Amino acid sequence: MTVTATDTTVHLDPDRHIPGVRSPGFAETLRAEWIKFWTVRSTMWATAMLFLLGAGLTVLICATNAEWLASSEADESPGSFITFGMTFAQITAIVLGTLAVTSEYGTGMIRATLAATPRRGAVLAAKAIVLVGTLFVAGVVTALAGYLGGNFFLDREGIGLALSDDGMLRSILGSGLYMAGLGLLAAAVGLLVRHTAAALSIVLALVFVVGTMVMLLPGAWGEWTSKLMPGNAGASIATPVSFNPNLLDPWVGFAVFCAEVAVVLLAGYLSFRRRDA
Amino acid sequence: MITARSLTKTYGATTAVHGVTFTVEPGRVTGFLGPNGAGKSTTMRMILGLDRPTSGSVTVNGRRYQEYSAPLREVGALLEARALHPGRSARDHLRWLAASNGIPRARIDEVLGLVGLEAVADKRVGKFSLGMGQRLGIAVALLGDPPVVVLDEPVNGLDPEGIRWVRTLARELAAQGRTVFISSHLMSEMALTADHLVVVGRGRILADCSMSQFIAEHAASYVRVASPQRGEVADLLRRSGLEVEVQDQELRVQGLDAAGIGELVGSNGLLLHELTLVRSSLEEAFMTLTADSVEYSASTPTGIPA
Repeated sequence: MTVTATDTTVHLDPDRHIPGVRSPGFAETLRAEWIKFWTVRSTMWATAMLFLLGAGLTVLICATNAEWLASSEADESPGSFITFGMTFAQITAIVLGTLAVTSEYGTGMIRATLAATPRRGAVLAAKAIVLVGTLFVAGVVTALAGYLGGNFFLDREGIGLALSDDGMLRSILGSGLYMAGLGLLAAAVGLLVRHTAAALSIVLALVFVVGTMVMLLPGAWGEWTSKLMPGNAGASIATPVSFNPNLLDPWVGFAVFCAEVAVVLLAGYLSFRRRDA
Repeated sequence: MITARSLTKTYGATTAVHGVTFTVEPGRVTGFLGPNGAGKSTTMRMILGLDRPTSGSVTVNGRRYQEYSAPLREVGALLEARALHPGRSARDHLRWLAASNGIPRARIDEVLGLVGLEAVADKRVGKFSLGMGQRLGIAVALLGDPPVVVLDEPVNGLDPEGIRWVRTLARELAAQGRTVFISSHLMSEMALTADHLVVVGRGRILADCSMSQFIAEHAASYVRVASPQRGEVADLLRRSGLEVEVQDQELRVQGLDAAGIGELVGSNGLLLHELTLVRSSLEEAFMTLTADSVEYSASTPTGIPA
């Protein structure tokens, strides 16, 4: 092979060093992160899984429990079932958030990313926006689809929920917010540990295992640590009526969850800024 | 132009780069040569702002890399190993890079053509051979049409044809007036590509000079003289102030070229059977220079460990 296409002279734009002239800004960084996010197959897979688990399991559980919920023996509210699938969709949100960061460290891509955009804060902000945007939309669409499908079966038994019912619309939007928050939390942990398996284990354990285990702590200790664990504090916004009666109010819980995510994200950012790529 | 001033990088107790000062000038190929673990990649990562120097500084055309808002248009880099996601296609990889620096999309096809990857542009890079990966890395480096090009071990994994291609490309880029900085642990490769050499070992600069100067200074040479009158010839040459070493059946003479030695011996009526200029290879010169700075050296199987 021969080299043919290089120019004969270097074309140096005399204005190139002057700040503000043709200089790409945050919009370019955001676009780059968006392209990066959607050009690996894991993103499509995880998003599809989020939808299938979130909407599918809601419909399934509503279909199988509608008759019992309508009967006099029922000791649970239909509101606890109508966003049930989101409990499992959480896993895929965590996977997406983790991979958005750790796949770059696993493959060495992070060096290409930071060589292209040395402003690390901008890289992190762009990643966060892409994650939050995608997961919010996916979460809302999934919860809405689950509601429409599940409510079909509840309606047949005469116990259907209207969107105007207490907490219904909030739980659909809340599903999007909670998924987005989980993705950010996972990405932040990814920045701290830089390793896919480690980051996934930590976040999944924190949300699913530790959140349940602390309930075993004695008395008020157990009650409050359990209420404040991110998986418990954040989840109540995503359901009209929770199975777990011992939770913070939806918006209070979500505020606590957001604060927790913010703290981990700040730690992740500081580590990202300081450490070598 | 790349300017490093007392550049130092330590990792815990290890010093990877030790107060290194050098300049990489535009318009020529500068080879960055050293054994594995000499600190080449660390230095290159510091040039790109990926690793933060412990002390000292390095600038590209007068500015730190991080200060450029579109760095890919200033410095094109082929990074060590493959900074690629295996699941992404070559075209998509170039697409996000171009987007990040406001580089027009048309340039993507241009660089794909330049490195000969058009046919596989939409294949996932995980399926690429080592050589194809290197070519993509070079496409990335050239994407922003940068005045400064930094290539870390560009010929790794390339076949002979690919190696020649990189060599030609590097020389061409330099001829266009760009700054070209290429690292390698292969002296033989550098000898064919570089005009200027920066040799490092254990994080320190061992030589910083032109290729011809390096050859003159470090590649030892002598004239091999064979004669049936070895003793007389040796005496004669020593009396003439030359350095003579008797080795087996031959004399190794330093201090005068072959023609001069021939004339001297002939005019004294002595016979010669052989008169040859022997020059040690650049590879040997490099090995000698860096012998003390090789991090992991293997002992020969027959050798008894001391």
